Amino acid sequence: MIQQGSQNTATSYEINLATLKLTDVIDIDFLQKFQDDFAKGVGVASVTVDQDGKPVTNPSMYTRFCIDYTHSTECGDKRCAESHRKGGEEAVRTGKPFVFECHAGLIDFAAPIIIEGKLLGTILGGQVLTSNPDEQKYRRIAGEIGVDADGYVAAAKEVRILSRESIESAANVLFAVATNMSKNAFQHRKLKAVAMVLDDSLHQISATMEELAASAGTVSDNQTNLNSEIGNVSSVTGEINSVMDLIKEIADETRLLGLNAAIEAARAGEAGLGFGVVAQEIRKLSGDSKATVGKIKEFTTIIRNSVDRTVAMGNETALTVEQQAAAIQEITASVEEITSITEQLTALANET
Amino acid sequence: MARIQLVIFEIDGSEYGIDALTVNGILRAQKYKIQKIPGLPREIEGMINLRGHVNYIFNLRNKFGLTEMTDAEDSKFIMLHINGQVIGCIADEVTDIVHFNEEDLQAAPTLSSSLSVSYVKGIGKVDERMIIILDPVQLLSTAESSDLETPLVKLSDLAIPS
Repeated sequence: MIQQGSQNTATSYEINLATLKLTDVIDIDFLQKFQDDFAKGVGVASVTVDQDGKPVTNPSMYTRFCIDYTHSTECGDKRCAESHRKGGEEAVRTGKPFVFECHAGLIDFAAPIIIEGKLLGTILGGQVLTSNPDEQKYRRIAGEIGVDADGYVAAAKEVRILSRESIESAANVLFAVATNMSKNAFQHRKLKAVAMVLDDSLHQISATMEELAASAGTVSDNQTNLNSEIGNVSSVTGEINSVMDLIKEIADETRLLGLNAAIEAARAGEAGLGFGVVAQEIRKLSGDSKATVGKIKEFTTIIRNSVDRTVAMGNETALTVEQQAAAIQEITASVEEITSITEQLTALANET
Repeated sequence: MARIQLVIFEIDGSEYGIDALTVNGILRAQKYKIQKIPGLPREIEGMINLRGHVNYIFNLRNKFGLTEMTDAEDSKFIMLHINGQVIGCIADEVTDIVHFNEEDLQAAPTLSSSLSVSYVKGIGKVDERMIIILDPVQLLSTAESSDLETPLVKLSDLAIPS
């Protein structure tokens, strides 16, 4: 029963990877601030989405090209989403940041956040160019998605130009930071869970130890009672023996009486014949009594031996129980020590 | 042919028989204190006070040349009528009273006249048991017993009732 209970508790503390969300392992406020600062510092736009592609942060440093033009039409928005999905999938497949050109001709990257093989989310970023925009290309795309071509080209010209290496480095930095943050947070959660399981188990051990100590005490008491009961049996056996001595004495006396009666009968001659038979019967009876006494004494001897052995075994049991109690005390002390260590561990796990 | 009854008793593992008609009674030795009398022969253990009369007690072990009995718990005094007196002798245990035909009595083996003992009447066979049948008068009427006759009367007069 107790064991089953502890198992149940253990499972409830375990981290279920299937339902783990990005928000569980990462402080979104911190991520937002980091993402904003990073975007401003390096000059790349970025946003973080969860495993379903829903944004968990606000976009940082989005370009006019994207917000005002590309995303402004339904067609553009769909193409953006498709482009992001493809980039994201590639990043998940390789487990590394992936740099690619989006449908609108900008350079983007996708960096996966993976914990123990499970994708928790993706950092998307970029919206830069590696060289000056080719006007013709943007006019064509503007036509495709249905936005004003002049404005689109103008917006494209505002897009920041970075070398491919810089973009890749930026992607790597974001990837490394996000992954490590998530990993740390995840390990921390695991540690917390383990500490809680440990704490629970220790409480159960303590409770069990108390029960054990109590039952050891009961066994000890019972043994003492048993020993005193057995002592009673022993003294009653002694009393039976003294009664038996008395009966044997009476039997001896009766036998002597029978012998003397037989002698008297012999002396009485013919007249004493009947009396002689009676005297013989008396002797026979006394013999039977004596034999019975002997048998009873055999039995009382067996009882006494059995009692002696029982007492010896009882004493052994008492000794064993005492040793058990001592062992339980030692275990309890150890458990207390572990409990205090666990408390420190729990405190440590709750600190950050 | 005469059919008699024998009181059977045991001394040092051997069975002895004595005519029941000469037996006055059997007593438990433990119940009586034997008063030793200095100067008497070894066969006489001492005397007891039986219902106000003083009776001599013979130790047959000494008479037969046997070792002293160590565990005397079951010892009995067999009180015998001898020449108008009652004299006891110590037996390890009185075991039985049996009927006995006198013609079943066999004479004790006599190897030479010097070795024959006057107080053994003969050997009686009861079933498979060999019983040494004693002559009570011969048993206790040795030289020393006749010497006792005179003082005995006086001693019994002096006995203190218990």
